[in-house]
Amino acid sequence: MDPIVYVALGMVLAAGIAGVASSFGVGIAGAAAAGAVAEDEKNFKNALILEGLPMTQSIYGLITLFLIAMVSGILAGGFRFADATQENIIKSVILLGAGLTVGLTGLSAIPQGIIASASIGAVAKNPKTFTQGVIFAAMAETMAIFGLVGALILIVTGVGF
Amino acid sequence: MEVNTITRILDTTLVVVFTWIAYKTGSMIYKYTPYSYPNARIRAMEARLFTGQRFDELAESKTLNNFVMNLEDSDYKPYLDKLSIYTAETIEGAFDEALADTYSLMFKILPKRVSLFFRLLLEEWDVRNVVAIVKAKLYGEVARDYIAELGTMVDKIKAMAEAKTMEEILVILEGTEYEETYHKLLLKEITLEEFETELYRMHYAKLLRYARSRKDEERKILEEFVKLKIDRINLMTILRAKLHKLEADKIRPFLIPGGSLNQRTLNILIHVEDLSMALAELDSTRYGEIAREVREELEKGNLDAFNRALERFTRRKIKELTRFYPLSVAVPLNYILAKESEIRKLKAIAKLIEDRIKPEDIKAIVGELP
Repeated sequence: MDPIVYVALGMVLAAGIAGVASSFGVGIAGAAAAGAVAEDEKNFKNALILEGLPMTQSIYGLITLFLIAMVSGILAGGFRFADATQENIIKSVILLGAGLTVGLTGLSAIPQGIIASASIGAVAKNPKTFTQGVIFAAMAETMAIFGLVGALILIVTGVGF
Repeated sequence: MEVNTITRILDTTLVVVFTWIAYKTGSMIYKYTPYSYPNARIRAMEARLFTGQRFDELAESKTLNNFVMNLEDSDYKPYLDKLSIYTAETIEGAFDEALADTYSLMFKILPKRVSLFFRLLLEEWDVRNVVAIVKAKLYGEVARDYIAELGTMVDKIKAMAEAKTMEEILVILEGTEYEETYHKLLLKEITLEEFETELYRMHYAKLLRYARSRKDEERKILEEFVKLKIDRINLMTILRAKLHKLEADKIRPFLIPGGSLNQRTLNILIHVEDLSMALAELDSTRYGEIAREVREELEKGNLDAFNRALERFTRRKIKELTRFYPLSVAVPLNYILAKESEIRKLKAIAKLIEDRIKPEDIKAIVGELP
């Protein structure tokens, strides 16, 4: 494949996988939120906060997309690795790896949505468990943050601005 | 290595990794997403279940009117509002309707792959009602007093309760799964006790068949639930028989297959000489803990204590499953058990208030109910 394909794939996968995962995560937690609110409107505030947690992965994906586009020159209107030399392919693959790292770790939005969904249930039963619920759901976020940090290191050290 | 080779390896790796991820993600979504809405809703409903304090307050009601007024802010209000007079019987009817609606709600909101189980659970009330009516008719009592307006064939049950002859009941049961067994009873091919056991056997066989047709944790949870129910019936049958010093051959036909106690344990239990030995034998099973807990009461011949302990054990086990599997069918099962318990207590309070029992005594009686 040409270097442009790897770079484009890196951008698409970072924002795409993380975005899809976020939408599933929010969907799962949102269904739970609807269930909790159907029984008692007072659950709305707590449910809304928990429901929003899986959205962050899509933001990491978007940040990565812009970074890859910037370092590869696409954002500036050109493409730095157009020639299929070994060096350019390696750099393109590094960018694909960075995108893939964020995209795959962004899949943590789905289990985060599942945790948030269970937490919404727990909070609906006992509102005092809200903080614990947020902490449990936020734990899944760690993987996405690791992924973003890893991708930044890959981009900066492997390709450079 | 050539550039082409490197890119080919990369492409293949990407395809393999993505296929695996898509499969794993898909199965995770399939497994949990359908429980998201119902379980959060059920948890919110759990928050409204009555506490011990609330039962104590209700027990303080001086009349049934006060009792109904104290339930104004509860989920039972719409059902109680329909009543024109307040008697223990009419209030019980309202509670039965509320319970029937709870089953229907579970059937409606749970994923299709498990919802039918709740319809099957509702059929247990059909079995209870059919048995109660037949018993009442045979003993010359008013059948209406023994039925709950709950189940999948309430109209037939009411018609059966009003039936003037036993043959009329057969006509009403025509086309149902109980017809053949009832026919045998009428022809005196089986006794009343055998008739009752056979209906329960058919019902639990159906529940088990359904549970075993599910997959993974759904199968595990549903099977555990049914097995706990079967064990409860079998243990009560055996202990009651041992209390009356019945022989093993007379107990065996009344056991229901499929529980978690294996055939060997059941055989030993029915062959032991008396209740104390049966309890000693239970010690090595999962029910050892509760056998020890109520041993004194049991040896005095109080089987109710063991029955209550078994009910509490079932609820504890299902509650444990809800902790292991928060997004699973364990949550609605736990809720149904809790709701049944709540309604049992409310019915008891209503009856005791009508009988003018002192609030302290009502609290004591209701406090002991599982």
